[in-house]
Amino acid sequence: MCAWGKNLRVAALLVGVVLVWGGGAVAQEQQKPLRLFHEVHPAMGSEFSIDLYAPDEETAEQWMQMSFDEIDRLEDLLSNYRPTSELSRISRDAGKGPVTTDPETFAFLEKAVELSRRSGGAFDMTVGPLMRTWGFFFNQGRIPSDAELAALRPKTGWQHIKLDASKRTVWFDNSVSMELDPGGIGKGYAVDKVVALLRSEGVTAALVSGGSSSIYGLGAPPGAEGWRVNVPDPVRHGEMVSSVLLKDTSLSTSACTEKFFIKNGHRYCHILNPHTERPVEDRLQTTVIAPSTTDSDVLSTATFVLDPEAAAKLVETFPGASAVLVSGDEKHPKYQTVRWPESLKIEGKGEKRLGG
Amino acid sequence: MMNRRFFVQGLSAAALAARPLVSLAEEMTASTQAPVRLGIIGPGSRGKELIRCFLRVPGVKIVAAADVYEPRFAELNQVCGYTVESHKDYRSLVDRKDLDAIVVASPLSYHSEHVIAALKGGHHVYGEKTMAFTVDETKEIVKTVDGGKQLYQVGHQYRYAPWIRAGVERVHQGEIGEVTHVFGYWHRNSDWRRPVPKPSLERLINWRLYNEYSLGLLSELGSHHIDVANWIFGEAPRAAFATGSVAEYHDGRENDDNVQAVLSYSKGRRFVFSSMTNNAKMGDQLWVYGTKGSLNLTLEDAEFYYEPKRAMQVAPAKGTVTEKGITTGASYRAGGEMPYRGPGKKLDIAVAEDPTATACRAFVDCVRTGKKPIADARVGLGSALGVIVANQSLSERRELEISSAV
Repeated sequence: MCAWGKNLRVAALLVGVVLVWGGGAVAQEQQKPLRLFHEVHPAMGSEFSIDLYAPDEETAEQWMQMSFDEIDRLEDLLSNYRPTSELSRISRDAGKGPVTTDPETFAFLEKAVELSRRSGGAFDMTVGPLMRTWGFFFNQGRIPSDAELAALRPKTGWQHIKLDASKRTVWFDNSVSMELDPGGIGKGYAVDKVVALLRSEGVTAALVSGGSSSIYGLGAPPGAEGWRVNVPDPVRHGEMVSSVLLKDTSLSTSACTEKFFIKNGHRYCHILNPHTERPVEDRLQTTVIAPSTTDSDVLSTATFVLDPEAAAKLVETFPGASAVLVSGDEKHPKYQTVRWPESLKIEGKGEKRLGG
Repeated sequence: MMNRRFFVQGLSAAALAARPLVSLAEEMTASTQAPVRLGIIGPGSRGKELIRCFLRVPGVKIVAAADVYEPRFAELNQVCGYTVESHKDYRSLVDRKDLDAIVVASPLSYHSEHVIAALKGGHHVYGEKTMAFTVDETKEIVKTVDGGKQLYQVGHQYRYAPWIRAGVERVHQGEIGEVTHVFGYWHRNSDWRRPVPKPSLERLINWRLYNEYSLGLLSELGSHHIDVANWIFGEAPRAAFATGSVAEYHDGRENDDNVQAVLSYSKGRRFVFSSMTNNAKMGDQLWVYGTKGSLNLTLEDAEFYYEPKRAMQVAPAKGTVTEKGITTGASYRAGGEMPYRGPGKKLDIAVAEDPTATACRAFVDCVRTGKKPIADARVGLGSALGVIVANQSLSERRELEISSAV
């Protein structure tokens, strides 16, 4: 191929000879039987995994690499653990005045603020300082004093995030540096971005998982109706409360079964109630299905924080959304569903259906 | 003999670093927020990342783009959130009179053509590294910049990281004694390939793998480290010796998937570069070695390590050694040769944004105020000469002299 040859540089830039498609080869490629490939990648304090159908190993590897590069790029953009990230810059500077940001970050913040508003603040990105003071950063759990929590009150609150779309600026109207925590939305957002990328590459079937808590089923495996995702029972270990098929939709789960600390015999959950500034109590697990992984990620957190009635109402405001909410404690769990596509596998324990 | 222009550049960079580190950012935000209209040639993966960074600067608007690969325009529109005027011919972009500056992020072998056309078209230029593909092209850019009024900033963003600036400043002040060696590691574990929708697009998209368009790992990664070595040593390299091979990815690529290079500076000083693409243990980091200590530089921090104190005076010998002698044994002390594995002393520097974003912000500030960029054509020249001659050495398998005279 000579289109980019030194002598033909101008011609290449003018004409774009290389853009001529080789139709025959393409048709042959598309006829190759698809095979399933699997790969994992550590990111965002977790492990992302992708299962996808590709015509050959080389193509699969390229799709995987492209996807994981995108996840790494988003982590660079949104991590609150990395001081050089754009989100960290906003956290530091937006209390001093309006900060201009790029359209992608701005859109992400618009989405986060919108979901904070819709959830009545049950989801709130400004819980960063609370997460830190409770020791959930770097897994060093501790119980802060009331005075410590009171001192943090002015440094939290999603309603202080002011966005000006005309100038693409972000500022905090409480004039303090707030620590934006992408914890309840970042993985879901990254999964959606990867799914969009894979679609644009022509991928027809893939299961993209952000730490197993934010999952999207793109298309379906050949001959299947969707990607099977099992929802574990937070009480009966090793058993499932439900098994659903995802096809062009997402599922996210929040639970305190893996991230918590115990002090004086009490279990403190890593999900904080932004209103009380304390770990959520009497909740075991929430699982939400929604067309967007960003939405289901946020909804799983918000429904975990809200009481079950309010949680059900919130889920119903999202078209195509459904949920399984498990509250109470291990000895007295309450299983509730909202528009869930099937009955739960909880013999003798009773399931309450909420909402319409 | 030390090149005077490099010496001057070194001094001015040191003077900048000596100012309070926050001043760089504050000055920029304090400057006017007058609209700055940018065009871009080559909005590929790096070009889009630059655009994301430029859009974080108040008042910046991306007006037009040129590329030979049609899908890039839609991708750029998505990054910008609005429609950017597209040009299939870059010359129609540089002919525009409504641009304040042009960003050049095309494949390396096109840099000089695009940069010079943009400069001659009356535009300021932010040009991605490496500055150019050949020595002649590199010097031609310098001459064009010297002969015109337009600003040129090269994409050596390490120069804009406050912690690297502070670290280098301390090295220049003698913090780690006499610096004789800089080692640069850029190790990754990926094949460096981008997905190709059709085989006919292989060279267009994976241009970094082909020697017609790229000087490989030396240019795409090593140029940053060579720039830091030049900065620390205060001059451009005088000779280069490099080697490399394809050790892992036997996929038809022309550029090596691992490279080792040694660049020579005055007084016997050396920069040693290693890049490999199938093991990421070392990551991207530089080590600056001096007689009294070492400095580790990364894209997030700078950390000093100090050598154990040398014996300052010789103790008087006890007379018994001449009377009774000493007793032989097998107590070889291996510990003295073990690598130090303890903590270093991290530079306590106010955290800043990603260096690329700072570099873009600084360029816009220069466009608005007429200030000279820190990473100017001379900085670009010094690194490019190292890259180009090292690559030539890699082909010829022998050490080559470098002439930095323009």
